[in-house]
Amino acid sequence: MKRSLVLAALVMIVVAASQAGTISGKVSGVVGESVVYVEAPAGKTFPAPTQQPVIDQKGLMFQPHITVVQVGTTVEFLNSDSVAHNVFWPSVGGNKKLTHNLGTWPKGDKRPFKFDNPGAVPLLCNVHPEMSGYVVVSPTPYFAKTDPSGAYKIDNVPDGSYTVTAWHEGAKTKTQPVAVTGDSKADFTLSK
Amino acid sequence: MDTWRRVSLFCAFVVTVMLLTGSSYAIPAFSRQYGTSCTTCHIDFPKLNDFGKAFKDAGFKFPKDDESFIKIPPVMLGAPAQKDMWPHVIFPGTIPGIPQIGLRYNQFFQYTGSSANRYSQPQLPLGSLQSPLIPNTDFEPGFFSIFMAGNFGSDIAFWVDDDLSVFGANANGSLGDGYLRFVNIGRFFKLPTDALTLRVGQFELDLPFTQARSINISPYDIYTQANFGASNQNVNNVIELADAAHGIEFSGGHQYGGYHYSLAIVDQNTSGQSASPPNVPSPTGGSSGGVGFVSDTNYKDIYANFSYRFNLEKDPASRHDIQAAGATGPRDHTYLSLGTFYYEGRSDQRFSGLTSGGAANVITAREPFYRIGGDFSFNYRTFNLFGLYMYGHDHDLLLNSTFTGFIPGAAAKFNGGFLEADYLVLPWVMTIMRWDHVQSTADFLNGAGSANYFSPVGSTRDRFTPGVQFLIHPNIKASFEYQFRPQQALTYNENGQAVNSFRTNTATGALEFVY
Repeated sequence: MKRSLVLAALVMIVVAASQAGTISGKVSGVVGESVVYVEAPAGKTFPAPTQQPVIDQKGLMFQPHITVVQVGTTVEFLNSDSVAHNVFWPSVGGNKKLTHNLGTWPKGDKRPFKFDNPGAVPLLCNVHPEMSGYVVVSPTPYFAKTDPSGAYKIDNVPDGSYTVTAWHEGAKTKTQPVAVTGDSKADFTLSK
Repeated sequence: MDTWRRVSLFCAFVVTVMLLTGSSYAIPAFSRQYGTSCTTCHIDFPKLNDFGKAFKDAGFKFPKDDESFIKIPPVMLGAPAQKDMWPHVIFPGTIPGIPQIGLRYNQFFQYTGSSANRYSQPQLPLGSLQSPLIPNTDFEPGFFSIFMAGNFGSDIAFWVDDDLSVFGANANGSLGDGYLRFVNIGRFFKLPTDALTLRVGQFELDLPFTQARSINISPYDIYTQANFGASNQNVNNVIELADAAHGIEFSGGHQYGGYHYSLAIVDQNTSGQSASPPNVPSPTGGSSGGVGFVSDTNYKDIYANFSYRFNLEKDPASRHDIQAAGATGPRDHTYLSLGTFYYEGRSDQRFSGLTSGGAANVITAREPFYRIGGDFSFNYRTFNLFGLYMYGHDHDLLLNSTFTGFIPGAAAKFNGGFLEADYLVLPWVMTIMRWDHVQSTADFLNGAGSANYFSPVGSTRDRFTPGVQFLIHPNIKASFEYQFRPQQALTYNENGQAVNSFRTNTATGALEFVY
């Protein structure tokens, strides 16, 4: 009985894997990294990842400049500079009610924050206004950053119909429906 | 359309233009080098925040890990390992990777009440040409300055600023500060870090509150107060505390917390003139005298300043850090700073006189003088209240009746100061209220003959100056101030009533940018 259950589970995994496809394409019209992510289908939720990415403040810069995480991810903000910094954001996904300020912490310390709302989060420092960074919170685990040429590829997307969003710093965000059956294509042309 | 409506429309237009202007970055010398905004070091430039004070104290460098912040690497003037070969090689240094040049331009517009013309009364004889009208409105080119600053490695900092052109006629300006600063030379004598720094060149004295880099449009009256004796006095001392000084300065401590001191030994020149005789070559010139001499005496003046700043943060770590750790980010400390300063010099005046035997002789009146004062500054978040009081005293020597020497006369004195409150309403809106006060018996006795005095028959000059400043961008600023002076009189009649009373209230607007 036990052996049968294990076998059945393996079969289901193999079947599921065989039904997972990819979304690939190119984001054009802009220069630099863009982010492409799959919007959550209605009623569908995904378990939050346990990994905690780190965004460093180093040399008066947010490093990396763009971090993509899934909803529910806790991001740690590190200060590696010997000057005081802070991190705040005026909005999440354009919603100004979700503004938040993490305060001040010294060199070497981290301060965590769990992002429960999807959308782009512009990171700012109130003493160094030139500092700029982004956390892009994806509602699903299906996301990717483009390479320098604008190409991207999102793996392991189950077959189905989705809405895919392309985001770029300073450009208008675009969405388009994509039907995933195996390898699917979705190109975007963004503009400021 | 009535005047108020016109003014309202104009103000609305100005604000609209400000708000609609596109984005840009502030990129003076340090902004370029470090890739950072003006606001890293300034609150409403050129006023420094705590980090800016630490940056300046450190010799125009980040106080820690400076190299990790520089976006444009410096040029090596010798490999670092050359240090090991010294004194057989030149000690290696660096120069900034790009010329550390910043430019600053300022343009004024001023309005003065028409009653100011009562100040200038008709002069006899009838039909003679009179002095020009004081206009109600006037455009004034302010200054176009070039400033260069940075660090040559080995903790040697430099600063040069110069007004390239002023008064709108392509006239030459004048040098502001130009110096080398050898930071933390106390390390050679095993002194605590930053206990001793040396500055050499031309510089503004280490005043408690800078005049040269003030955010105010108009200067502090007490800083520009010279001391001229009355008609029965011999004092003729043109020195003003705001004057640039030439010499050396030792300093130490920090301006962002704890103690700070400076001791300067500078040239003396109380006559406003310098000698350049053709028969005495100057050390730096040819037989014709070269650039001449700055001093008009062998005496060197001494200026000393000591202050202590109590940072009032509860958290000890935050209290001792350069900036306080606020709940929503770093900010300037809440602090109380107390200080005192002292300037001592000697005014020498040479007269043609006689020896006791009746022969022609040059006799010299040597009149010691001093300026002494105290200051305070209290800061809470973005509110800063500060003030300064100063007393000036010049000994007076009068020629005796036989022109063979001098006899003591009544000292020439003045006192006064200022009180100013700055409140940063928004990161880009600074409001200012200021009171200037100068009391001088010489002002009273000298009458209108002395320049820059608005009180020919009153011994006290007061000025209330509200102001507001807008940072259109971090490097572009619009400033407005209204100088309100109590009504004064040119003369009094036999009943003690004011005659030809006047005000010299002035509204001034300024637009400046740095890049």
